[in-house]
Amino acid sequence: MTTFSARPGIGSLDALIAVAPWPQRWGLRVLLAIARRPRGVALLARAAPWDQLVRGLLTAGHYDEPEVSRSLGWDADAVVARGRELRRAEERP
Amino acid sequence: MGRKGGWLDADACVIGAGAGGAVVAAELAEGGRSVAVLEEGHRHDPDGFTARMPEMLARLYRDGAQIMTIGKPPIMLPLGRGVGGTTLINSGTCFRTPARVLERWQHEFGMDMSEQSLGPCFERVEQALSVSEVTPELAGANAEVARRGAARLGWSHGYLRRNARGCVGSGVCTLGCPTSAKQHTGITYVPRAQQAGARIVTGAQVQRVIIERGRARGAQARMTDGAPFEVRAPIVVVATGTIHTPLLLGRSGIGSQSGQLGRNLSLHPAAGIFARMGEIVDMSRGVPQSFYVDEFAHEGIMFEGAAGPPAYAAMALPLTGRRHAEAMADYRRLALFGLMVSDSSRGSVRTLAGRTLIRYDLSYDDLMRFRKGLARMRELFDAAGAREVHLPLPEGVKPERARVRDLKLMAFHPLGTARADARPTHGVLDGEMAVHGAEGVYVADGSAMPSSLGVNPQLTIMALATRLAFHLLGKGVASTAANEDLGAQCPS
Repeated sequence: MTTFSARPGIGSLDALIAVAPWPQRWGLRVLLAIARRPRGVALLARAAPWDQLVRGLLTAGHYDEPEVSRSLGWDADAVVARGRELRRAEERP
Repeated sequence: MGRKGGWLDADACVIGAGAGGAVVAAELAEGGRSVAVLEEGHRHDPDGFTARMPEMLARLYRDGAQIMTIGKPPIMLPLGRGVGGTTLINSGTCFRTPARVLERWQHEFGMDMSEQSLGPCFERVEQALSVSEVTPELAGANAEVARRGAARLGWSHGYLRRNARGCVGSGVCTLGCPTSAKQHTGITYVPRAQQAGARIVTGAQVQRVIIERGRARGAQARMTDGAPFEVRAPIVVVATGTIHTPLLLGRSGIGSQSGQLGRNLSLHPAAGIFARMGEIVDMSRGVPQSFYVDEFAHEGIMFEGAAGPPAYAAMALPLTGRRHAEAMADYRRLALFGLMVSDSSRGSVRTLAGRTLIRYDLSYDDLMRFRKGLARMRELFDAAGAREVHLPLPEGVKPERARVRDLKLMAFHPLGTARADARPTHGVLDGEMAVHGAEGVYVADGSAMPSSLGVNPQLTIMALATRLAFHLLGKGVASTAANEDLGAQCPS
């Protein structure tokens, strides 16, 4: 089973959070900081919408990691490479 | 082009290079008009598409796809940003405007539109975008699950039509098509416009439409580096999308006479429903949105395919903790389908202290549609042989007992904030999509829609943009470029 960790994928999430509208940007950074604390996840679980939002982001970051997604049969690099090859072979824009 | 500072003269200034703006720009330019297009975003090179979700959301979407409505429930509203607009990141689904919607527009809003009269406009767009039906092979196993369920229940269903050419089912339409198979306006209409002489200025945030003595005189923009830029033109076509068009018209001091500017926002709120199947589904292989079930469309309930790579599924999967991890470990057997509601709820768009506020509360009628839709989706998956169905509701909440706050929703089709109505007292635009009371200013995007459509809107937006362009050219629409001289008329 793929185990969930709050740590992987954080780097890719930072770029995403950086372009969010400022209220969300500020709020998400605070919530992610809480989620990373030892009892943070339990604390957030009491606030369902925030918990859902933070968990959604964290899980997206986690499952976006190449080794995690490859283990589930999805290889982003292979999809992109095939696309580039096809575009060049057929002179697509 | 990226010209910084200064000004341009043109016959027409088009603001926005998405579904509506790109079409108007290309048709006007090919019709012999000089056209300048102001686009806030930039061009996206497909070589930069990585199919990595957080990275692509940050680059291709406005505000990193984190625009939320305020209200009950809060709804995520992802919008594209850049040349191609939302057509760059949508699923490519193409529906003509349903006849029942056009009839309503005629009777309630005084629109002179019918299936027959818009036919040449649709044909022209469909040819330009290579619209065709997805094949079962390309649709993938996720669509097959829904097809099997619908067939067993005897529900109306079919494969969707899409604007794609040479698609190989990469499964990441919403993260930038890596094969350039999706025929978004950035690779179809925008190059056509440029070839016909249109000038495309990217990185130009339009501040206001210039109005002098009730007439359009052009548009003022600010470039990314802060330099001012101006286009002087007697015709201005605003196509910045349903959220931003009413704000731009408002800043320009036009369109507010009826009191409807920024109001009447419909969204087509939607939810994703997961099922764990016995067979391998691999939802990210094939066209993510390739199949529909329209058995309940007359009630405002539509089911359409939705799928994506593990990160996409993980974000949408309505489970937490160990159950989430267990379901994701079985990702290859997960199926996902979308429920979309043709909403009667209406929201609004405005600014407060420079920030865009989108207010939207789900009405009781739409809650009922979601309750019914979720129950029917469960039936569909059960009929298809699902081992488990995961509805977007808190654990233990049954569809028939769901409250508004229980729903986890997204929306992809904002419409109606500068709605057309032949009567100046009831709408922002007239039947020709001209702003009431402001000569020479037109709108070509989803904001012009008089009501919710119940289907994906890109084809309607493009058909109406075609109609507008030919109206401005003073001629009828030929259904295809080849028989333009035959003059198959789409009334303008």
